[in-house]
Amino acid sequence: MRIGGPVAIRNQVYGWLLLTPAAFLLVAFTHYPAVATLAQSFFTQGTALHPSKFIEFENYRFMFDDPVFWKVFRNNAIYSSITVPTSIAFAILMAIWVNEKLPLRGLVRMAYFTPTILPMIAVANIWLFFYTPEIGLLDQILGRFGFQSPNWLGNTDTVLGCVIVLAIWKDAGFFMIFYLAALQSLPVELEEAARLEGASRWYYFRRVTFPLLMPTTLFVMINSLINSFKLIDHLFILTKGGPDNASSLLLYYIYEVAFSFLDQAYASTLTVVLLALLALLAVGQFTILDKRIHYR
Amino acid sequence: MSRIEVVSLVKEWNGTRAVDNLSFVVPEGTFTVLLGPSGCGKSTTLRMIAGLEDVTAGRVLIGGKDVTRADPAKRQVSMVFQSYALFPHLSVAENILFGLKVRKIAAAERDKRLKRVAGVVGLEDFLDRKPAQLSGGQRQRVALARAIVAEYPVCLMDEPLSNLDAKLRGEMRSEIRDLQRKLGMTMVYVTHDQTEAMSMADQVVLMKDGVCEQIGTPDDLYNRPSTAFVARFLGMPPMNVIRLACGAQGCRVAGLESDGSVTVEAGDGWLLGVRPEDIALDPSCGIPGQAIAVDYLGADSVVRIALGEQQIIARVAGHCQLGSGQPIRVSWTPAVQHLFDDQGRRVA
Amino acid sequence: MRTTLKKAAIGLAAASAVLGLAAAAQAKTQLTMYYPVAVGGPLTKIVDDLIAGFEKQNPDVSVKAIYAGNYDDARVKALAALNSGEPGQLAVLYALDSYELIEQGAIIPFDEFATTPEDKTWLKSFYPALMENGTIQGKTWGIPFQRSTIVMYYNKDAFKEVGLDPEKPPQNWDELTKMSQKLVKKEADGTVSRWGVMVPSTGYPYWMFQAFAMQNGQLLMNNAGNEVYFDTPASVEALTYWRDLGTKYGVMPTGTIEWATLRQAFTEGKTAIMWHTTGNLTAVKDTAKFNFGVAMLPAMKQRGSPTGGGNFYIFKKTSKEEQQAALKLIKYLTQPERTAEWSIKTGYVGTRPDAYETPALKKYAQEFPPAVVARDQLKFASAEFSTYQTGRVRKLLSDAIQAVLTGAKQPKEAMSEAQKQADALLRRYK
Repeated sequence: MRIGGPVAIRNQVYGWLLLTPAAFLLVAFTHYPAVATLAQSFFTQGTALHPSKFIEFENYRFMFDDPVFWKVFRNNAIYSSITVPTSIAFAILMAIWVNEKLPLRGLVRMAYFTPTILPMIAVANIWLFFYTPEIGLLDQILGRFGFQSPNWLGNTDTVLGCVIVLAIWKDAGFFMIFYLAALQSLPVELEEAARLEGASRWYYFRRVTFPLLMPTTLFVMINSLINSFKLIDHLFILTKGGPDNASSLLLYYIYEVAFSFLDQAYASTLTVVLLALLALLAVGQFTILDKRIHYR
Repeated sequence: MSRIEVVSLVKEWNGTRAVDNLSFVVPEGTFTVLLGPSGCGKSTTLRMIAGLEDVTAGRVLIGGKDVTRADPAKRQVSMVFQSYALFPHLSVAENILFGLKVRKIAAAERDKRLKRVAGVVGLEDFLDRKPAQLSGGQRQRVALARAIVAEYPVCLMDEPLSNLDAKLRGEMRSEIRDLQRKLGMTMVYVTHDQTEAMSMADQVVLMKDGVCEQIGTPDDLYNRPSTAFVARFLGMPPMNVIRLACGAQGCRVAGLESDGSVTVEAGDGWLLGVRPEDIALDPSCGIPGQAIAVDYLGADSVVRIALGEQQIIARVAGHCQLGSGQPIRVSWTPAVQHLFDDQGRRVA
Repeated sequence: MRTTLKKAAIGLAAASAVLGLAAAAQAKTQLTMYYPVAVGGPLTKIVDDLIAGFEKQNPDVSVKAIYAGNYDDARVKALAALNSGEPGQLAVLYALDSYELIEQGAIIPFDEFATTPEDKTWLKSFYPALMENGTIQGKTWGIPFQRSTIVMYYNKDAFKEVGLDPEKPPQNWDELTKMSQKLVKKEADGTVSRWGVMVPSTGYPYWMFQAFAMQNGQLLMNNAGNEVYFDTPASVEALTYWRDLGTKYGVMPTGTIEWATLRQAFTEGKTAIMWHTTGNLTAVKDTAKFNFGVAMLPAMKQRGSPTGGGNFYIFKKTSKEEQQAALKLIKYLTQPERTAEWSIKTGYVGTRPDAYETPALKKYAQEFPPAVVARDQLKFASAEFSTYQTGRVRKLLSDAIQAVLTGAKQPKEAMSEAQKQADALLRRYK
């Protein structure tokens, strides 16, 4: 077993050959696009009339002066900070509810999970008709009580809320599954021990269940946060980001810039910012929360 | 104040009876062991006393008060679970104080009790650790500490030592027994281990298939088993129960000819019990048999012997040198005989 | 190891041989065409049938028609194919994408290869209003195909119910306001059960606004595509009127009105009048349970409506043979008979006058008079809003309109801001 002998070299080559397909795919579809995006953000968009040229941070400067960017940034901040905790809260509540011994438990679980398996586009189409004034479901219900339904999607004050409600409805059922699995892995004796000590259900949830669910919560939180930045399918159907960008989110704006304005360079700039933001949030969550989480 | 009465207790699951008409009394300040093979209903009984399981019929009284339908928290009982049920994310101290915090006991009082209990169970140096950082024995102590810090008069334990190794189990047995005496707790303790029952209990309730076989002191159960089941359940190795064939000529070991006759007055098919340690081996006189195997245990040897088609076990001092297949004769004095009828009930 | 490699090599060789054979077998001209579908109905089937008819007549050309989603998707796919070096030869894309496609260097003008006298007559056979979007710098870049315009749909039963003549739809803004006020129906508790008029303001608000502006005598951009006129008094006035329909006259819901659900609101009687694309005509006809009429949009200073929809474009990276084959295909698809058939089946405007002279369309127009309203309106029509940087500029305009309709900004303020930003974007195209 001499190191560097012909056998060792052949093994090395063999190993690298085995790795090559995976490495190639990773580089071609992950690393190269990321680097290319970063590079492109320092150039102008090249067209036949105006060839691309290097402009350093001009795209970034433009971004800081772009009111639409700040608007969608703020929208996204509001969107994330509401959808993430609310869908988590609903997911936990529903999971605890369907973890009980209740009649038709399977059916209730199914019902909660249904939104998850529907495609986002289909969901958005359904909700579009919920929200539509005059003929929408919400309007019909409010109308029965003699209220004129607001123009939910046509109003800058309500449109973002509508999009948020839809996102929570879609996400909560999905996250419920994770919580349900986590709840079922908690030993029953813990609750019995607490019951003997006289702990109320709320006290037990606050002091035992919730802390023990924290690993799930971290996972769900990061997923939910990423979803809130990357899941924008419903905007295409529901609002197209309007009215007046009131419901537009970062990624939707990036899509518009890239494919409607055909400005790949500026889209790259925005993408770099989005990636940096997501990376920062993920690192923050892992480092700050991880210390306070008990892993079994 | 803390006497426990279990009256005609029944637990049914989908029509099958897990506990069937069970009654016993645990006098205040004493130690009762619920003993039996797994699935006999002993844990279910304990959980009904704790209030963790609904009672199908019958009553549970603690300190003279009917608590059959009372909330577990209202019964003032503490409990040690087989799995310990420690909160994995809380430190040892937090685990011990969990119940005191729930009941909003003042911080100063909590600290005082924590210090005292930690001293009692020897956990002073581990209060900041998480359960995962403790050994099995230490976790056991935390569970114990959590039970006694409540200072409830009644303590229930569900196979608390079954996850420990043999040596530690022996130590903890005496510790728990000492603690119970010192604190004057009324204890109900579930186990399938007869050693624990024999060494710890003031009173043993031996159960089988949800029914009580015998209630009594360890001494009663060992020396005067009321059924053949009890006889066979206790003792290491357990009592030999020999089937008899009786006719006009008297009784003999079933399957043997006249040389297997015994001096007892019994009916056909009755059972004769003899403890292994009461059997004498002699090459010349007694019932003829053949040695099958010998287990040498140091101080003594356990010899398996075939009497016709039945087998018995004898325990003899020293290292027995019998080879397999070697003929041997066994005998015992009539004073050590136990006699059970064909239903397994004690006759004499 | 070694045998595996050998096997793989043999396999590769065999595969390439098969591919080579396949390529050799296809000596005829291959065309790839991208097209979108923006309205309901089995459009892909109709397109497939048309292509099959063409291939039968021209056995030397084979056409692969790729349905590419909506207009935005189709543009993305066509441009992606272009960047990958494997472009299609032709596509149906937004008429208003001309400037953008020219700037991308993606398309060539038809004048370069449609050079015979017959070709030149063909280029002149379409309605001028439909040629406007495709005519830039004196050259023809796009040929009209699935083209639409905005018309006014109205509920004749509702007109009768409030005592209006169902054969006299509003002719001008003043009539529109007054009639709409009559048409609004309120319940006892004050909720509105039917609105007077609805003009959609999501999806394509700039398009609807163009109609208001043109009626008020204002075009929104120049032909060179490098100037816009958002903040002129006439433009601001037009936007103010649109907003006032909701806020001042109370005949339209305030806030924006959803493009996609408006048709249903109309067919369910929730509004007596709607402005919408002619592309919806067939669908409205099929679902409305009441008598409805179709009319030209009302006038202020004049009548007016933008055109919309898609043109044929030919991509630059095509060989001479492919160009001729593509030209043949487009000419086939725009024959009067094909155009008539297309118009009847979809509700799109017939793109050339002689299509309306064909027996099929004549008969259809007699049975269903609304079918010709769009054609009649074409003489007042003009190009759809389109400039250089068209995506951005168009969005500026749409955002400004929505800001006004939702009450976030005043018309003057919103349009001045949009004008300033658009000027900055268009500066380098002058």
